[in-house]
Amino acid sequence: MPPLFSVPGVVQGRFLGLLCVVALFLSVIYYMRRKKSLYIRKVAGLDAIEDAVGRATEMRKPAVCSFGIGGFGYSTVFGLAILSYVAELSAKMGTRLIVPTGGGTASMVVRPVAQDIVRQAYIAAGREDMYKDEDIPFFSGQQYAYIGGYVGVLQRTRPAVVVMVGSHASETLNITETSNAVGAIVISSATSVSYAAFLTCSSDYCLIGEEGPAAGAYLSQDPSQRASIGSQDLFKWVALILIVVGLAAYNVGSDVIIRLLQS
Amino acid sequence: MSAFFKSREVILTAAGLAFVATFVPYFVTIPELSVISTKLVTITALVNAFTLALAVHSQFMRGMYFVRRRSRGWILKAYMMVTIVLMVIFATMGQDKGPYNWVMLAIVNPLSSVNYGILAFYMASTCARAFRARNMKALLFLAAGFIVLFYQAPLTGSIFPGIEPVALYLTDTFAMAITRTFTMSVTLGAIIFGARVLMGKQPQVLGLGGE
Repeated sequence: MPPLFSVPGVVQGRFLGLLCVVALFLSVIYYMRRKKSLYIRKVAGLDAIEDAVGRATEMRKPAVCSFGIGGFGYSTVFGLAILSYVAELSAKMGTRLIVPTGGGTASMVVRPVAQDIVRQAYIAAGREDMYKDEDIPFFSGQQYAYIGGYVGVLQRTRPAVVVMVGSHASETLNITETSNAVGAIVISSATSVSYAAFLTCSSDYCLIGEEGPAAGAYLSQDPSQRASIGSQDLFKWVALILIVVGLAAYNVGSDVIIRLLQS
Repeated sequence: MSAFFKSREVILTAAGLAFVATFVPYFVTIPELSVISTKLVTITALVNAFTLALAVHSQFMRGMYFVRRRSRGWILKAYMMVTIVLMVIFATMGQDKGPYNWVMLAIVNPLSSVNYGILAFYMASTCARAFRARNMKALLFLAAGFIVLFYQAPLTGSIFPGIEPVALYLTDTFAMAITRTFTMSVTLGAIIFGARVLMGKQPQVLGLGGE
């Protein structure tokens, strides 16, 4: 099926994509500048983090938070944003935070950033003495050697909460099931649809789809960041309208929307 | 000088320029920018490889620190350091044959496979929890799950031939629609998250947490 139109100078089939991304960026800037406080629905998984870390403090048990096994992909980066929040809470409440790292060769590059995030959180809370390098262990560059170490930490330390976000892969079940077995509250994020099903079953709270990337803004007190989520909703409406119009058009024999999306 | 390179402005400017240099050539045909983009990707790969060497060095030094202090678990650290050194030596002899290949085939891969196999038991225990239909929604999910599960099982298809069209309908309509919705929502979230990072609103992920 040929595209509806092509624009000279733009790679064929990518004009609409370019338009969408530019419009998305502009709408983010617009919403952030406007700083108007928007209604954001409650995300149970994110609201539960504070309570879960509080529970760990009351039980005098550690909290465990991991950001994934990948390199600097977007899922690792939002995992780091959530790690920053968990580290801040742990430092404020005086709870020991364990951050298992490793699992992939690329994760070695992310580890120093995670270490810095945790250290800065403890320094900001005036509890630098509580920060221990040993609490950010590096297990291995191999996925299943890492998980062996991770499960070992869970069984030895019996944490009260396990926040497993970011670029985790098939090892997620080992983590969530062991966490359940040791009585920890499990908060996870599913960035891949293939893991969403079993993470939803095995976790107490699961961040699904865009809830993970939006976590940083949701948890922030900065109104401009929270406002940026508004553009997400705007584009969801655009997608929804395109789906409905496309469906109607296709059923009356027109392929205009399909060809438009290929432009 | 290092303070300059670590400053918020420099890091954000570098991130912004790198974004433009790789983003624009994907959509717009500008040969000069494509050359810059390719070079940037090559430079990133090289820096990444160098960073990995630094990371291994830092792990080694950290291990040494544990061994010297005889901290808890120091024997494991010593073992890890010995294996790091051995694997570096083995890797220099070639990766497709020789001791490196043997270690991977005879030790690392079988151990990883065993760990992967354990997933089946974890899945079983997850399913056991999921199979508690506490309300109507959960019951519907459970019924759909059972139909798809029976369809996937080798013998069920021949015993209950009527299950195939129902299972295919469920996977090709509901599952497909949900997968696409999920992908769209994650993509939207990722783009907006990227925009926030580039605008310096989430500095901690760029290693600027202390500022």
